[in-house]
Amino acid sequence: MTSTRRLSLSIAALSLVLASGVLAQQLTLPNKPDSLKFAVIGDTGTGDAHQYAVAEKLVAFRNQFKYEFLVMMGDNTYGGESAKDFERRFEQPYKPLLDAGLKFYAALGNHDTPNQRNYKLFNMGGKQYYTFRPKLGVRLFALDSNYMSPEQLTWLQKELEASGSDWKIAFFHHPLYSSGGRHGSDAALRDQLEPLFVKYSVDVVLSGHDHFYERVKPQKGIYYFVVGGSAKLRQGDIGTTGLTAKGFDTGYSFMGVEIAGDEFHFQTISDRGVTVDSGVLKRRPTPATK
Amino acid sequence: MLGSSLPAVSLAAAQAKPPLTTPAEAKSLADFDARVKAYYELRDKVDEGRARQTRTKEPEKLESQRKALAANIQKARAGAKPGDIFTPDIQPYIKRWLKPATKGTDGKENTNTLKEEKPIVELKVNAPYPENQPLSIVPPDILLQLPKLPKDLEYRFVRKHLLLYDSRASLIVDFIYNAIP
Repeated sequence: MTSTRRLSLSIAALSLVLASGVLAQQLTLPNKPDSLKFAVIGDTGTGDAHQYAVAEKLVAFRNQFKYEFLVMMGDNTYGGESAKDFERRFEQPYKPLLDAGLKFYAALGNHDTPNQRNYKLFNMGGKQYYTFRPKLGVRLFALDSNYMSPEQLTWLQKELEASGSDWKIAFFHHPLYSSGGRHGSDAALRDQLEPLFVKYSVDVVLSGHDHFYERVKPQKGIYYFVVGGSAKLRQGDIGTTGLTAKGFDTGYSFMGVEIAGDEFHFQTISDRGVTVDSGVLKRRPTPATK
Repeated sequence: MLGSSLPAVSLAAAQAKPPLTTPAEAKSLADFDARVKAYYELRDKVDEGRARQTRTKEPEKLESQRKALAANIQKARAGAKPGDIFTPDIQPYIKRWLKPATKGTDGKENTNTLKEEKPIVELKVNAPYPENQPLSIVPPDILLQLPKLPKDLEYRFVRKHLLLYDSRASLIVDFIYNAIP
């Protein structure tokens, strides 16, 4: 083989590796065969280059980590809900993932109308708030934090009470805890939801709205994440609140999650393919399992 | 209807302090309920054919169903005007019921939440809510103070103004100017 041929082969191999994201991001998740794997994205619906950049990283990430579905933290389409909006701001950016048969489970943001519940690709089952159990022992609760009606609170209480799942994960748009300067913690919502989360041992709460990534220090035993920077970014918006365990507000991001037994592993990756946070959380024992 | 309509098991409901109702308030509330019910029945009547909303993976269908339903409602309510549902009778009571949720520390949290979004919306009965404007977050405390609404009718705010919003058709059904101080 000539040196020129060897060089061109090396460049081709390097390009392939870079394209798959292997060099750019090192998988920190355990990637166990029987675990539950999913991805978290938030505030996605811009249809711009940043959404595509994160989408590309999601695809590359899946080459290493076969997550089974994605959860969306709301603001799924900014600026309108015409057929073109859904196409430009959801179907096209995530086409490779949709083509691979991945399901997206959406929550509603303040830029979304309740009509999105009827869009089958959001898997909301025609409901503004809903629950699903992707795997034995793990249940997710998607809430509509725009309109926390007494009916929704009652529904949530009943569902939490009835759930025998070890892992209870809630996701919705507005964060109960956030260090965002633009929005920050939604105290009014927290007054209603936190007592239920504490009483029924919700383990993890995922939100968006603030356009950055933040892992909040555990609050009353519950882990909170803000994943609102998957297409929009508010640079430097994370303030000094004492809440932040880890913050990232200088780039776009998404989060990979793996639940294996009593462990919740997470890895947050930027639009440049850099791991900006990772770790493992232990599920606290519930009264039933003590 | 206010407090009594709330499910007994709800923590939020247990915390709610329904305002006392005088016979005059009760009468206005019953009239409001009847008007809301009449709107709901009207919408049900025109929610048919290509306007009937179904779950679909085709965004075109979602859009056309919503627009068809909105057009049907607009036609059926062609003469609708402000105050048809939020009548002058009920308006002062609604403003009064909202007051506890906008006072004190908790009230400040609620009003801060309401102020967070500043949608630019021309308040016009029977008009579509602008697609490119965010919908306000409505704090739970505020919803607890207001009469219960049937499915797909919601209270929303545009700054200090309270909207009755049809979330299925995305229409402004009625509104109250300066509903909160």
